[in-house]
Parts: sequence; C-alpha cells; structure tokens
Amino acid sequence: MSKQLHELTFEFKAEKPKDFSEDFLHFGVVGSGDMEVIVEHKDLDGAVRIKITSPVTGYEEVWRRVLERFVNDTGVANASFEINDNNATPVVVSLRLRQALAEIS
Amino acid sequence: MSSKWENLQKRSYLESNARSRAIGLVDTGSFTELAGPRHRISSPHLPLLGEAVEFDDGIVTGVGLIGKKPVFVASQEGRFIGGAVGEVHGAKLVNIVRMARQSYDKMLEDNPDLPEEKRPAVVISFDTGGVRLHEANAGLLAHAELMDQFQDCKGKVPIIALIGSRVGCFGGMGFVAAATDVIIMSQFGRLGLTGPEVIEEELGKDEFDASDRGLVYRTTGGRHKYIMGDCNFLVADSIAAFRETLQEVLRKPYVEIAAMGSIGSLEKVESQLKLVELCVETAPKDSKDVWKTAGNEFPDDLVDMPLDEFLKTVKRLRDRQVPQPPSAQQLRK
Repeated sequence: MSKQLHELTFEFKAEKPKDFSEDFLHFGVVGSGDMEVIVEHKDLDGAVRIKITSPVTGYEEVWRRVLERFVNDTGVANASFEINDNNATPVVVSLRLRQALAEIS
Repeated sequence: MSSKWENLQKRSYLESNARSRAIGLVDTGSFTELAGPRHRISSPHLPLLGEAVEFDDGIVTGVGLIGKKPVFVASQEGRFIGGAVGEVHGAKLVNIVRMARQSYDKMLEDNPDLPEEKRPAVVISFDTGGVRLHEANAGLLAHAELMDQFQDCKGKVPIIALIGSRVGCFGGMGFVAAATDVIIMSQFGRLGLTGPEVIEEELGKDEFDASDRGLVYRTTGGRHKYIMGDCNFLVADSIAAFRETLQEVLRKPYVEIAAMGSIGSLEKVESQLKLVELCVETAPKDSKDVWKTAGNEFPDDLVDMPLDEFLKTVKRLRDRQVPQPPSAQQLRK
C-alpha cells in the first residue's frame, strides 16, 4: 500500500485577506517536477483550503511552510485549492501558485 | 480574451501546452472544452501505482469553430507521462471523434443540403509516445477503438493530424496518425513507430544512436517525413502557421481532403509497395541517401537550410497528394 498516492490537506488564513472571486481557475501541467492547480471560490470564513495529491511523502512541513507563505504574501481568501503534484520543488510550487493567480487579470 | 488568443498565435507550437494549442487552432473565443479539468476525470489506475495524476489525464478535448465549420479538437500533453494513452485519455480521444461523426450524421439528417463549409471536421494535435504502459490493455484498446472511429468517419468527416510537439508521435499513435487524411508537421515534429531509444535498446548503438540528435531528426523529423511524402505539409513552428495550413485544408471539399491520405485505395497500397521496392534496390545507409535518390543533389545542405528555402528547393520522393510515386527506374535516372 506504500506506493499509493498521498493526500495532504491544509487550511490557512491570511493576515490581510483578499477575496478570491473567480468561480473556477485551472493552471499548469503535471510534468515531471511540476504540478497543476484548480482554484475555486468557496466560502470558508476567510480561510483557504489546499488539498495536495502527490506521490512524494515526508515533506508535510515543507508544504505547510511554502503554502502558508503563499497565502500570507498574496492574501488570497475564501478559496479552495486542489493540487496534483509530481515531485515539484518548493520553488516551482511557489511560482506555479502565483502564476495561477496572475491568470485572473 | 481576444488579445490572449492573439498572443497564442505567435507562440512556438513546440513550446505550447496542449490547452494553448487547442484554443489557438480554432477561431478566437470559440473553443469549448469537454470533459476538462473541471470534471476531474483522472486515471483510476495511476494512484494504485503511486504515480501522479492529472485532472484532464493528459489530453484536452473540445469543439470550436474555423469559419463556419465545427472543429472537434483533441490535443495531447506530452509533458504528462509522455502524452501516453491510458484509459481515460483514450476514451476522451475516441469519443471526440465519435461525437464529430454523430454530429455529422445528425446535421445531415436535419439538412441533407448542408454546405461543406458547415460540416464537422476532426483535428488531432499529437504529442505522444503511444500506449501508457501503466494501463496498457486499456490504452491498446483505445488505439483499436480510435481506428474504428476513423473508419466510421470515412466519406463523412475529414481527420487532420498536427505533429509539432516535443514528444512527437510514436508507438501505436504513429499508426493512428498514418490513418488520418492529412498530416501537417513542423520541422521539429517527429513521426515514427518505434521510438529512437527503443530501437537503440533493441538493436544496439551501432544500428541507431538515439543520443545523436541530428540522426534522430533526419530519420523521424518533419523535413525527412516531407521528403518521403509521409506528411502532406511542412509548416513553421508557430500556432498561427499550423492554423493557417489547417484552414487552407479545411476549405477544400471532403473528397479532395480524403484523397490526400496515405491509405484507402489499391493505388495507394501499390504506391507504398513501390517505396519498399525502392528501399530494397537502393539499400540506403542514411536518410541522406534517400534524399539523394529523391533528386536532391546536395542532401547535406537540406539539414540546416531555412524553412522557406527548403520548401522551395527540396525534391520529394513522392508527393503524398499524388497517389503514384515515380517508379524505381525513373528515380535512378
């Protein structure tokens, strides 16, 4: 069973929240060392919920730090994120999430 | 939206992902994705093997317009497991072709005089190594089902193949591409059955050195395929260039498009057999020998020549649009 895909879920609240109002957003390709993300508006009382599906284990703490920083930097709020990851490094994760939000403008 | 679409046009076809290609190939704002990431239909097999999944299973399917023509598009994503065909990926591909044919039947039933410019077409942007080995049975079955759908499209819906992405088009999908009516390639597109690395692994580095990029491209690349007559058109590496030639093809009546295919008649089978005969007689050691046989006196020059110059000067072994190639005797003169 150890080979199965793993799921992680986090919830954060930004210090200066800005509502995510898009109904649906998709960005990225699950290439090797890359990831994709779906972002949807969801009423979470100002919080952000992020679900990650990944073949990699043992990096919960790294994910938590990278995502918490992303949420605080961007202020994104009331949104549900779903990530399909394929060994993306923390730098790539940060970049892709910011690129995804930049798609809106 | 329109400016976003215009930016796509200039983009390199080679560097574009599956969704950009699908959106950019049809008219601005006309693409509607079907069974897209929103529906989250990912592979049921990969999680059990601990392999990453993608919400669209590595293929974008949908429908758009080119002029008045409904165009059913399938666009493969080579960056996700080499664009390999798994169960969901295959089902999406098969069903977009089926949907095109069913639309044709319904439209013609409602209006038997429907002008050709409004009749559906299928466009497949290949970026694949063939069957996804993690779910090989389902993948192989999808290949067979797709060929079946192509057969049902005969006489009704033209199928156009576009090859200019990173992975190229190999394995079983090489057969599938060969069964389409028209193949449009860029010089970076690659088309073949057994991929370079597999040949090297099976027959050794002496037979085929897969790390020799020059060798790989002059054996499987767009320029070689154009000379061989294995593709109909060779275009520049941009979405706009592919789209332009696609538009040009789709303006033709169905019978003319279908005549461009490499299979489907006794003459075409004979034409293929003549190529085999030629191959036995001339026993080429390298693609350049074949280019010379085709009448190119300085085959080395063709490798790096700018594309427009190449298209002007190159002599093709056979024009895929003409069913009869020159005979071996004629070529030797």
